[in-house]
Amino acid sequence: MATLTRQDLNFGQVVADILCEFLEVAIHLILYVREVYPSGIFQKRKKYNVPVQMSCHPELNQYIQDTLHCVKPLIEKNEAEKVVVVIMDKEHHPVERFVFEISQPPLLSISSETLLSHVEQLLRAVILKISVCDAVLDNNPPGCTFTVLVHTREAAARNMEKVQVIKDFPWIVADEQEVHMEEAKLIPLKTMTSDILKMQLYVEEKTQKT
Amino acid sequence: MSRDGWRKKASEDDGWGGRGGYMAAKISKLEEQFQKDAPREKQKEGTSSCIFSGVAIYVNGYTVPSADELRRLMMLHGGQFHVYYTHSKTTHIIATNLPNNKIQALRGEKVVRPEWITDSIKAGRQLSYIQYQLYTKQKCLSFAGVCAQGGQDPLFSHGPPKPSPSHPKSDSIKPSHTQTLSKEVLKSTQANFTDRTNHQLDVRLNGSYSIISEEDVERPRVNGIHDGDDDVNACALLPRGSQDTLLTNGYVHPVNGALKPQDSVSFAEHRPHVVDTGSHQSHLPQAGCRDREEPSCSSAGSKANSHQSSLISTASPAKKPDPHNMQKDLHPEPTSNPGTSAATQKSNLQDQTRVRLNGSYHVTPNSSILANSSNQPGSSTAQGAEAGIISEFFSHSRLHHISTWRNEFSEYVNALQSRRRAAGGAVFSGKEKLKKIKANCSSGSLMAAPQVRQSCILHVDMDCFFVSVGIRHRPDLIGKPVAVTSNRGPGRVPQRPGANPQLEFQYYQRKQKQYRKEKTDDDLEMTPSPQFDEGPSNGVDLDLAALSMAEIASCSYEARQAGVRNGMFFGRAKQLCPDLQSVPYDFQAYKEVALTMYETLASYTHNIEALSCDEALLDASALLVELGVTPDDLAQSIREDIKEKTGCSASVGMGSNILLARMATRKAKPNGQYFLRSEEVDDFIRDQPVSSLPGVGRSMSSKLTSLGVSTCGDLQQLSMSRLQREFGPRTGQTLFRFCRGLDDRPVRSEKERKSVSAEMNYNIRFTQVEEAESFLTNLSMEVQKRLEGAGLRGRRVTLKVMMRKAGAPIEPAKYGGHGICDNFARSVLLAQPTDDGQLIAAEAIKLFHAMKLHVKDMRGVGLQVQQLEGPHADPSGQGPSRGRSIKDLLLAKQPARSPRKDPLAQDGLTSPSSSRAFSSNQERVTPPSSPPSTISDPMPGTSKGDFHHPRTPNHVRASLNISIEVPSPSQVDPSVLEALPVDIRKQVEQSWRHREEQPSTSYHLPSPPRTSSSPPAPSFGTLVLQLPDQPGQPCTTGIILELPDFSQVDPDVFAALPRELQEELCSAYRNKANAQAQGTTVEQKNTFPQLKQPAVGKLKHRYKKRNASPAKKGPSPLKKLFPGNSPAKSSPSKILPLPLKQQGLKTENVQCPSSPSTDVPKTLSKLNPRPVPTLAGAYEFSDIRTLLREWVTTISEPMEEDILQVVKYCTELVDDKDLEKLDLVIKYMKRLMQQSSESVWSMAFDFILDNVQVVVQQTYGSTLKIT
Repeated sequence: MATLTRQDLNFGQVVADILCEFLEVAIHLILYVREVYPSGIFQKRKKYNVPVQMSCHPELNQYIQDTLHCVKPLIEKNEAEKVVVVIMDKEHHPVERFVFEISQPPLLSISSETLLSHVEQLLRAVILKISVCDAVLDNNPPGCTFTVLVHTREAAARNMEKVQVIKDFPWIVADEQEVHMEEAKLIPLKTMTSDILKMQLYVEEKTQKT
Repeated sequence: MSRDGWRKKASEDDGWGGRGGYMAAKISKLEEQFQKDAPREKQKEGTSSCIFSGVAIYVNGYTVPSADELRRLMMLHGGQFHVYYTHSKTTHIIATNLPNNKIQALRGEKVVRPEWITDSIKAGRQLSYIQYQLYTKQKCLSFAGVCAQGGQDPLFSHGPPKPSPSHPKSDSIKPSHTQTLSKEVLKSTQANFTDRTNHQLDVRLNGSYSIISEEDVERPRVNGIHDGDDDVNACALLPRGSQDTLLTNGYVHPVNGALKPQDSVSFAEHRPHVVDTGSHQSHLPQAGCRDREEPSCSSAGSKANSHQSSLISTASPAKKPDPHNMQKDLHPEPTSNPGTSAATQKSNLQDQTRVRLNGSYHVTPNSSILANSSNQPGSSTAQGAEAGIISEFFSHSRLHHISTWRNEFSEYVNALQSRRRAAGGAVFSGKEKLKKIKANCSSGSLMAAPQVRQSCILHVDMDCFFVSVGIRHRPDLIGKPVAVTSNRGPGRVPQRPGANPQLEFQYYQRKQKQYRKEKTDDDLEMTPSPQFDEGPSNGVDLDLAALSMAEIASCSYEARQAGVRNGMFFGRAKQLCPDLQSVPYDFQAYKEVALTMYETLASYTHNIEALSCDEALLDASALLVELGVTPDDLAQSIREDIKEKTGCSASVGMGSNILLARMATRKAKPNGQYFLRSEEVDDFIRDQPVSSLPGVGRSMSSKLTSLGVSTCGDLQQLSMSRLQREFGPRTGQTLFRFCRGLDDRPVRSEKERKSVSAEMNYNIRFTQVEEAESFLTNLSMEVQKRLEGAGLRGRRVTLKVMMRKAGAPIEPAKYGGHGICDNFARSVLLAQPTDDGQLIAAEAIKLFHAMKLHVKDMRGVGLQVQQLEGPHADPSGQGPSRGRSIKDLLLAKQPARSPRKDPLAQDGLTSPSSSRAFSSNQERVTPPSSPPSTISDPMPGTSKGDFHHPRTPNHVRASLNISIEVPSPSQVDPSVLEALPVDIRKQVEQSWRHREEQPSTSYHLPSPPRTSSSPPAPSFGTLVLQLPDQPGQPCTTGIILELPDFSQVDPDVFAALPRELQEELCSAYRNKANAQAQGTTVEQKNTFPQLKQPAVGKLKHRYKKRNASPAKKGPSPLKKLFPGNSPAKSSPSKILPLPLKQQGLKTENVQCPSSPSTDVPKTLSKLNPRPVPTLAGAYEFSDIRTLLREWVTTISEPMEEDILQVVKYCTELVDDKDLEKLDLVIKYMKRLMQQSSESVWSMAFDFILDNVQVVVQQTYGSTLKIT
């Protein structure tokens, strides 16, 4: 049984690839489910063997891709603690925060056989959960926008300044306004635990959205 | 003392090894001496006889004539005198007064007053000792055995009745029997005479019955014939005996049988039919059946006995019969063989008797062993089931004596006060005296009063009370190590079979490691289970197994210096301190002295709280101010008074509160006084061990030790919140205060009793469930007696059972003791307070069955009645009236009784003449405003002042149950109602009535703020129609909660789903719809929809179930599932689920995306260093859910620790970043608990949720949204 450890070169990358791929699907789906963009720009696709919605708007897609591209190095180094999709109202006050809390097991060995299919099952569960999350969330006010935040561990943010993955696409420190949400209610959506990563998705929802 | 020390000691050759040890040598030497002296004495006296040939007496305690004189008399008249009691050789014990312990131990022995000897000599013959028995109650059962030696052998009983010449002495003997027996004896003595053979015979008898059975064959029949006239004899000749049976079935006295063989036989045989109360019938025949192999017999009862008699009749002749025992019956025999080593033969005979006894009883499996060990101590174990044994036990139990005294003295103090009130004042002689002294000496000096302005409590405690009382007329013992104990011998007793002292010792040693604590120096410290206390220090070892296990009730300070402690076993103490003198109990004297002490105290003030027979608290604050004396002066005066009047010394501790006064006493002892000044308190208390605090027992001190706390100073370092977390809010607070010397308990001269109980953990050996039941009934009667004595009635009945710990030896090292036990307790709340023994018994038996225990392993049973209400229950909310006196109580009792006798009377509307009935109705009708009439203080010893609080919520809840749980009349199937027992039906109907009156009661519940703190009392006794388990339903609803509205499901998405998924979703939505419908009905009607269409059988079943396992306080499912009870303790690897199960889950997962079950790659999670959060070992959500459901549905009152477990688990989930599971758990609990019939559960849920939200808030900055 081949075992991989974090010390193996490609290990972090493997995890980051999987996770970023998933995040991309998730973000699209969130934007669709939460009606941040009109449903017309979304197309039905199939991912993880379940139907998902994906935007066909090239700029939006590009933005999402770039963002995730920048998140990836952090994930590779296990420096990203949370990836947050923030949905903000017109005044740029967050009304919902989809928090992907990521933690990777510090030390483990993986058996190659169970890895992918199993993780895929777990990710599918999360996706499905997202697709039904509007049942537990209040409707958003019209005219919402979104942004993606990354909570990094320790000093990762400083290092990031030095290594700009994509030119002209730098990370900036988030406004307090964008992060802080008053009287938030926490709604856990899904927790997945696999041998390569442990991730939980929860929504923080503003009590009064309007 | 370490075990090694003992072993060394044991192995050291004392030089007597060759002679069977020092004691054996000494005894035989004494015997020789006696034999040598005898002729000399005879010569001197001139007159001599052989009246007492075969009799060996042992004089116990003080007698008239003295022991020396008795010894001389025995020499003169052919008897034996034993300086040391030897069970096997001594035939009679001469005593005028014996302590209870001794009586218990000697149950099988002939304890006779000395007059027997003198009168016998006067009469020139050995009189029947029966009239001289010290305790007339000793006897009975053993008859079965001894009888057998007598005439009952049918083979011979048909011989021609020829009056034996030896007869004139014993008037009651039937000639024919004597004849036959002597014949038989002669016959068998010819056959085998030596001891050796006897021994073999013993074994054979007990080991294989086949040999005897040839004789047996005819017996039953013949016995049957005989029964008739024997019966008459039994009744006619032994009237006293038969009367006594009712009381003392368990008590054994073989000699009776020896003297009147035929009587005893018939007596034993017929008791089951004629005399016995019935508890017997079951086991006597049973034992017989077990004994014998021939199945065909007339009546079981006679069969048993006949068999026994055959056993014995073959056995006894084989040896030379005990010359005394058999004297009357076998006159020819002893006279023909006088002077041969009677002692050894006697021993054999007695063995036999014992074997039989046990055989006829219940220890049958042991009998062969018993026979072989020639030294079986005491008598046959009395059976717990015996009718009357309970009152017997309690009338002799010294603990019981002492505990009743406390009440007596409390009442005495109460009476004093009421007398004073009545007289408008009282004469305080002591006070006056002190005043005079004060006046004399302080005439010139200035008044010393000012500093005493503060309150001052005196704690008066007699110094080693029992000892000082015991030796007050024996100046020779002053200054010597003295112990009060029942054992007077050398401190050795033979080891009993089945007992395994080593094992117990090891167990106690282990325990001791946990509970190593300072022994307190308290004189009267007699714990109910001294084995547990003193087991360790008793150091049972191979050799020590033979040490006496009689406990030392009290020992002098000289003995304490040698390491002897109260509660220690005497044998062990004797080893520690060879000079140790033992003094018998003298209850009368204790009582006198105690009363004198209280009188003395009362001559100073009436603010006395009686703590026990030898200690009391005085609130001297006012007195000191009035007299203007210092506490020291007062204490000095009191001590002098007590010394003068009682001849015993007392120590006095003084402090500003009870706690400090008690602690000061510790320092004052012995025979001193100590005033703990408030400025010294801090320094003083810092060094006190925590165990000296009241309420800190073994378990708490061990817990404290684990926290690194050994002294009060250490304890002061812990914060209040920490303590409350560890020990619960109330106890935590009390500890917090105590360790700072703070104590606000008042000296309460009038004490409210909190519970009335009766417990017995000695000699409990059941073989049948019926025995246990009848025992419980008897115990209930005892409780009833006590309740009536106290004029109280209680609502909560708690059954406590001690069960032999698995693996513990069958026979404990202490004879008749309980050995190593597990304790179980269950309680039930009655609808009405009661003192009716039958009712209590019924509840107790129900509880007993619900516990599903193995009767044979029962070692102790206790019944406790709590939540007491006096007949004075005061509806105005004043609680127990402070000014209540005993007299009031007595007056009030009369009218109050009448309504109680008829429980239905209470169902009627308030009868104005009876405050009792009124208040009980009151409680039910208007629960929230109903006043607490009595208290159940959760922690004894903590502030008693505010005892109302804990009760209030209980009341509310109890009444709430009725209104909530009973469905409205329209929803109840009338046939179901019909099928209910009358009382339940009444209750249901009554609750309907109440509901009409107060429809909204249940909703405006002031949520008691203390839910979390004190585990609220469960409310039983009301009609609980539990939500039946609905497998699957909770599960589906659990999923539903996550589902979006069906309308919101994107049809496209839905269509794109695989087919299985679609189906899954559809069914989920259907379920959701159902559940919502149900939910609404629940909300709207506040009833359980399940009740709408219950079949009669179903409801019955439910009712039955409830009866069988009424909501219990017992082990909660959380505990059951995981004995360790602490998830933290468990290693995570242990609780990893089985891979097989996961496989199933996984597939399920695929099919059901909305199912939240977590999937973990099990193969790898082992390697995950992070411990998985578990609840009582459960890890999978489904398990958690099952656990929670079981918890909520089976238990009516969540226990605090369980709630905390759940909170802890939830917190761990947060830490583990498993919010989803947390969410599911919370939601599941919400649904379960808020739907639960008990409002306690809602409160429990609120408490859990609050705690979890705090944690989530801290971690995530926001709180969970609970929908």
